[in-house]
Amino acid sequence: MIEIQDVSFGYSRKKMLYKNLTLTLETGTIYGLLGKNGAGKSTLLKNLIGLLFPAKGKINVNSFEPRRRQPSFLQTIYFIPEEVYVPSLTIKGYRNLFAPFYPSFEDEKFSQYLKELDVKDEGKLNTLSFGQQKKFIIAFALACNTKVLLLDEPTNGLDIPSKIQFRKLIASVMNEGRTIVISTHQVRDLENLIDRIIIVDNGSLLLNASLGDISEKLCFKTVSEVDDPTRVLYAEDTLKGISVVQENTEGEDSKVNLEQLFNAVTENPEMIKAIFSNTETLVK
Amino acid sequence: MNDTFNLKRFGWLFKKTLLERPAQLLGLIGLILVITVLFYAILRYMGPWDVAQNGSFLIGFIGGGTFLASFVFTYFTSNASGSSYLTLPASHFEKWLCAVLITGVIFTSIFLLFYRAIDIAFVSIYHKALNPTGPFYKEMYEAINVLPYNGFIAGKAYMMFANFTTAMLVGALYFNKAAFIKVALIVCAIFIAGSYLNYFMAKAVFDNLDKALPYYAVFITVGKEFGKIILPSFASKAVDICILYIIPSVLLITAYVRLREKEF
Repeated sequence: MIEIQDVSFGYSRKKMLYKNLTLTLETGTIYGLLGKNGAGKSTLLKNLIGLLFPAKGKINVNSFEPRRRQPSFLQTIYFIPEEVYVPSLTIKGYRNLFAPFYPSFEDEKFSQYLKELDVKDEGKLNTLSFGQQKKFIIAFALACNTKVLLLDEPTNGLDIPSKIQFRKLIASVMNEGRTIVISTHQVRDLENLIDRIIIVDNGSLLLNASLGDISEKLCFKTVSEVDDPTRVLYAEDTLKGISVVQENTEGEDSKVNLEQLFNAVTENPEMIKAIFSNTETLVK
Repeated sequence: MNDTFNLKRFGWLFKKTLLERPAQLLGLIGLILVITVLFYAILRYMGPWDVAQNGSFLIGFIGGGTFLASFVFTYFTSNASGSSYLTLPASHFEKWLCAVLITGVIFTSIFLLFYRAIDIAFVSIYHKALNPTGPFYKEMYEAINVLPYNGFIAGKAYMMFANFTTAMLVGALYFNKAAFIKVALIVCAIFIAGSYLNYFMAKAVFDNLDKALPYYAVFITVGKEFGKIILPSFASKAVDICILYIIPSVLLITAYVRLREKEF
């Protein structure tokens, strides 16, 4: 479990990016961390791994305090940054030098993931394309079998087949004891993958809700005409009509559209707050 | 496993550090050795023996060691490698120790062994070139010997090496980019400022001050006479201990604390 309690963080003391952020991430869940560019997604992930330290408040990741960066903590968590680092080593060389640090590393799985992600064993890693390097690091991270996996924009640089394969792999490695947080601004890449959605903007947590809660509280549909504009959180003209996101007052069953949800939340944070305020999917 | 130090984990880290960037790390050490030989040869060709020996030793040992010290923490030049380094499951102490061992022990051992080998080679060539039947053979033979590692020059070189390399380790953790240049500029600025401060302080004490060397001596002129006042031996020893042990120790501790508190 990851607990963020009353955390404030800023790159300068005068301007805080996060103020009094409180959030709990449960194990056995895949979280989609959404936000615009510069919203603070990477910053939040870096606070969780201990690369950045909160100015105030506490972060607890499976009973560890990340800022101490103890080896016993770091071997249970893997962070894939947006830009990955691969030294001038072959796949085998990288495995031999880095894998011993992760006690749960599985060689067979590593080979399997490399195959599934179509990572070619062609010489030094740093000579591979950016997409290949990223897929290599994803395969390595998954093979480390860490309890927490933090991925910052993992699908950036991946081609369409690789994105599909990536979603399949993440779904296949998920288990009850694992927490996966995927940060992205490409919301479509997370469709059919995540259990809960966290949306941040300007350092504030706008939404932390499960897909079930969202489809219960909000309705995503296409209409020819908007009946009551006051209920509409987001509207978008499409070829078939007007796609709207509105409060689900009539218990309608609809599929959550992540892109529209994101726009609805960032454009109407107060309405979202009011809609979700009486559930445990608290918006702070 | 112990979160501060584990021998097995430290072994993995050490192996990883050496083999992760072999071309850069081992290549850099090789380059320093080659430059040292070249300097020795060029200076020997251009000037007297002591200049060649002392010059090449100081350039190779201090210059090379300082440059290498700036390199062992170069992970922070990019977001990706910096994150990878800091999140690698090894303790701060192990990462710090690894950098200190590479610079302070491995490089020093390799350099001193290598330098002794080339020094013996150069001196042997010189000795063999002498004419044993010549009039001053014995004097010329005995005048040139290998650089003593317990001599004055070597002693000063160790002192400078200890200070510059530890300053560079700290600097590499503060400045993510161009650490070598930035730290070199800061060290030069401190040295110049210290020299001037020392000069003005000495001038306040001595009326006829000619020049002042920080923590070593002042030179004064009285009429046409020229005199040198050096520190008393107890004070000189205290200064030497401070420069050789205390300042480098403080810098090493600072490097460790900085690594522990490093955000990236």
